[in-house]
Amino acid sequence: MKLLHLYDDIMNLYGDYANVAALRRILENSGETVTVDKISLGGQAELTDYDFVYIGSGTEENQKLVMKDLARYRESLKAYIQDGKTALLTGNAFEMLGKSVTDSEGKVHEGLGLYDFTVTEQSKTRVTGDVIYESDFLDKPLVGFVNKCSEIQGIKDSLFTVKMGLGDFEGAKAEGIRDRNLFGTHLTGPALIKNPHLLAYIAQCVTGKQPETAYLEHERAGYEITLNELTKRTGES
Amino acid sequence: MRMIFTILVCKLLRIIGKAVGKGSSLPGQVALKLCPDILSRVKLPSYIIAVTGSNGKTSTVEMIAHILTSNGKKVAWNKEGSNQIEGVTTLVLNSATLGGKVKSDILLIESDERFAKYTFRYIKPTHYVITNLYRDQLTRNGHPEWVYNALKDSIHEGTQLILNADDPLVSRFGADRKDVVWFGADKLSSDTETLESVYNDGAYCPVCKAPMTYTTHHYNHIGHYRCTECGYRRQDTEYTITAVDLDKGVMEIDGKYRISLALKSLYNIYNILSAYTVARIAGISGEKIAADMNNYVLQNGRVITFTLGNRRGTLLTSKHENSISYDQSLRVACAYKEGCDVMIIVDAVSRKYFTSDVSWLWDIDFEMLRSPNVRQIVLAGKYVNDLAVRFSYTDIPNDKIKLFEDIDEAADYLNSDRKEYIYVITCFSDKGKFLGKVKVD
Repeated sequence: MKLLHLYDDIMNLYGDYANVAALRRILENSGETVTVDKISLGGQAELTDYDFVYIGSGTEENQKLVMKDLARYRESLKAYIQDGKTALLTGNAFEMLGKSVTDSEGKVHEGLGLYDFTVTEQSKTRVTGDVIYESDFLDKPLVGFVNKCSEIQGIKDSLFTVKMGLGDFEGAKAEGIRDRNLFGTHLTGPALIKNPHLLAYIAQCVTGKQPETAYLEHERAGYEITLNELTKRTGES
Repeated sequence: MRMIFTILVCKLLRIIGKAVGKGSSLPGQVALKLCPDILSRVKLPSYIIAVTGSNGKTSTVEMIAHILTSNGKKVAWNKEGSNQIEGVTTLVLNSATLGGKVKSDILLIESDERFAKYTFRYIKPTHYVITNLYRDQLTRNGHPEWVYNALKDSIHEGTQLILNADDPLVSRFGADRKDVVWFGADKLSSDTETLESVYNDGAYCPVCKAPMTYTTHHYNHIGHYRCTECGYRRQDTEYTITAVDLDKGVMEIDGKYRISLALKSLYNIYNILSAYTVARIAGISGEKIAADMNNYVLQNGRVITFTLGNRRGTLLTSKHENSISYDQSLRVACAYKEGCDVMIIVDAVSRKYFTSDVSWLWDIDFEMLRSPNVRQIVLAGKYVNDLAVRFSYTDIPNDKIKLFEDIDEAADYLNSDRKEYIYVITCFSDKGKFLGKVKVD
């Protein structure tokens, strides 16, 4: 299995690299031989060579820089997704796939245009918070953290529904984007570590086989504790 | 009348607050309600020193206050570390006469990075120290560039900036400004040629975003950097750490002042250097400052030595959600040649607000605990599973690590006849839970 971590040295704000490390481990524990390539600004990646592509979150400035660079991959990324191959973009990385990102000064930066949504940033308040999401493909909710300054409008096929916390925009009930095996979410940091069931699901998307999950003991215990702490905040437990 | 009344109320609330052990921000908060422009009505000293940055604010301010007062200056400063506008208001009004005149030669303010722009709208510092900008409490602060932008709005014309030249993002505040004093470290014996950190916040130039190169790293992305394209580079320094020996616990400033260190960490030497720089600018001689800083033990309770049964140890207060703060503490433990056990507690991520976010654990360089100086590692607290997972991604052997969800049980486990020194590394939010189990010196 070949995994590609794109822009690892510039889109890496919240320990995002751990998502790739987690996927590597679950695949190796499931008997696969795994290599991870890291390719950043100016490098050249052949997406068709890979079984998994990951991009993490960056500062607003760095995201614009990366978005320009990523435009080179527009067609190959489109084909990659249409082939049903697996990609995960966390934090503001998936914002790059829409029509545009309007920055806090009103400047419009062109996105890859793979999807019709638009992104608007502001520079006044950082919108942050713990979240609980649900999905139609996992039987347990997801936990995590969102840390952004943008609103996203116009996503047709959402990844998650919001149980607690922030969605695509203020008051939104939906979060992220799903297209075949492309997963885009504003969850920051090691979302696959925090949510071992999501890790297992994505591993299965990559290999087409049920992965080995018995070793994820502390991951599961950590997930339960976090879910419990967050559920207390919703006043529902 | 309104000013007198407001000052009086603030002073009274502070006295009552102190008696019942309350923090120092409420009196200022009430004062700002009673008289929103109170800070522009009072008469401030002509010398106003402000200190901000991600790490080292409180320690640096304490050191500056110590040096200035030992040299006969009258200093008003926020000892309690309440560093948002309310706390600063309490400090100012509490130090003022009822007529609104602050009765000191120097006003010394620690300011929170994000709120500095509000505070300094009314109180314009004459000297403004910025120590560093790191990944710090990102669950509130977003990221260092976000904080940079917020801080930029707090800097006014006519203020002398005192900047850490070794921090590429901080140095950007001084680009194209005239009145800047730079402090920093020469290449040190503890430096590394390559980056030793989980991530590199100095990979790209903060000005033009081209790749940067380093000739030396003091720690993490702090060092001597240069942009490969636009010419942005580490500035030459006016006040400089010229040598350090962390084993012996000695630093040398400006090639002639030797200072013995009560805390043998790179952090500490930077805090001392920034305090030294400010004191020199305030006209105090290098000899006097070196004498005042020699073996200086911080009074702010961030480094606490203790006894647990027959064992001795030190608690190094480190900030959760701040990987460089952790890296520094881990480095102190790893350098302990006689052998030590290390305990890490993550129970409440923050004492000020709720979050379950532990992504910051992945930015900490725990790998260094593989050091043969570190014999056993005890992980404890509600988030012990998250710690265990993080450690499973290091090459530290499993049998070196013990896990306890309960902090009391972890402390009981450490209360053994082992001979190793104990280093406890945790945050303000969690340290009390451990200190209750030991005898503090």
